[in-house]
Amino acid sequence: MTEPRMTHDEAIELAAAYVLGALESTDEAAVRDHLATCAESHAEFEALGGVMPSLIELGDLELVEPPASLGTRIMAAAAADLAEHPRSAASVPSMAQAAPPAAEAGPAQPSAAPTPFPAPAERAERAERRERARTGRIDWVLRIAAVVAIAAVGAWGLNLQRQLDQAQRFDRAVAAVVQAAGQPDAKTVVLKSGEGARASGIAAVAADGSVVLAMRDLVATSGSQVYEAWVIVGKQAPVAVGGFTVDSNGTAAFTTRPATTPPGAVIAVTLEPNEGNTAPKGPIVAAGVATAPPTSS
Amino acid sequence: MNESQSGLRGRTASPADDADRAVLALVTAGQLDALQDLYDRYKTMAYSIALRITSDASLAEDVVQDAFLGVWRNAGRYVEGRGSVKTWVLSIVHHRAVDAVRRRRPTSELPEREDVPPPALQLPDIWHDVAAGLDREEIAAAMGTLSTVQREAIELAYWGGLTQQEIAERTGTPLGTVKSRVRLGLLALRRALVGEDGLADGLAGDGGT
Repeated sequence: MTEPRMTHDEAIELAAAYVLGALESTDEAAVRDHLATCAESHAEFEALGGVMPSLIELGDLELVEPPASLGTRIMAAAAADLAEHPRSAASVPSMAQAAPPAAEAGPAQPSAAPTPFPAPAERAERAERRERARTGRIDWVLRIAAVVAIAAVGAWGLNLQRQLDQAQRFDRAVAAVVQAAGQPDAKTVVLKSGEGARASGIAAVAADGSVVLAMRDLVATSGSQVYEAWVIVGKQAPVAVGGFTVDSNGTAAFTTRPATTPPGAVIAVTLEPNEGNTAPKGPIVAAGVATAPPTSS
Repeated sequence: MNESQSGLRGRTASPADDADRAVLALVTAGQLDALQDLYDRYKTMAYSIALRITSDASLAEDVVQDAFLGVWRNAGRYVEGRGSVKTWVLSIVHHRAVDAVRRRRPTSELPEREDVPPPALQLPDIWHDVAAGLDREEIAAAMGTLSTVQREAIELAYWGGLTQQEIAERTGTPLGTVKSRVRLGLLALRRALVGEDGLADGLAGDGGT
């Protein structure tokens, strides 16, 4: 990081190779640093860089259609990413971003103006990366969340809007689980569907023993029906920890009452004909085992 | 600044660009269907570019996936006025594809590139300003203004993912010669496409011959 800075003339010298992507990585990084910190004109970069898009068109590119599965893969990965990193309100584009930039000389775009290196956005990203490294346990549960979220959009294209609503609601539910799973001594649960049911989800057992659930593909409740969550420790009788209803969307975000839930305890969800049952009467729609994440960094 | 240059900069965006920016704003907000929309628009170009650079269908798919995930995560970093959304997306694909082939070459050091080009790398593109006014023959003629060796150097870099050093080794040419071929070739291309090299203050120097 203490390498001598590239001079303006040296950077200009490398402009053509830089815009073409033909520099060795060390030179490329040096030029990028220079562009981020030097207030002088970089007309050479702009003039040469402007030609790049035409190289695609001039290259007699043979157009090849990608396989349909690629689109499905990308959308599933994006959905999983959304589950891992729900968009905060701050990331919603503002009107300022949608407005055209002012006169070219003015630093209308803060990110385009010369800024001390690293730029604020990069610093924020680094801080975020550090944060993620510190909370290694979250990574572990995120992987589960990703798998579940991929399943959530597996039938992409079918009834798209309904699926989007479901996926988004489920994403929010998963975000709550992920947050709970990041607390000290949290345990995670993968909820797999019971016989004859399609429901699935994930859950985290918080330090106080309450269970934060995110579930999808639940059949809507009707009449007095209620989904009831149970904690089963060893051979002891199931303990009812709270119930919830589900609409036609089929997703649920629910936090149970605190209960003693050691690692190995089973978390089960049943569909009860009425609420308040102290022993399960209905079928198990999904269940999983509370697991302590492996101790990592 | 001469007239053609200011005209170039001041050109209003096409309806397609406006639509792209609207879609990108929704992508920034986390709308999956907006990403699907953007993907559908540029998947063929993206995949074709990746395939041409990698010559490997499976690697090309990975490149396109990486690139669109980069777009998904970093849509907010697109800087308006520095090229169209199309150019931005395709330049990310190009970057990822070049990274992929360099990673595959054991002799090459691993580039440390970001997911998306930082604003400094997002350069204003002239292409959509000139493309409408050119036919295929004129486009071919623009490429024809490059010498064979200039064209070769640019294509080895752009489509082959080679660095200047690697081009020098591959073609048995001194590095300094490769550098000037790349630079003069790009300048010639710009002159052929927009009628001037965009460097009013004489920075172009020896590019004027």
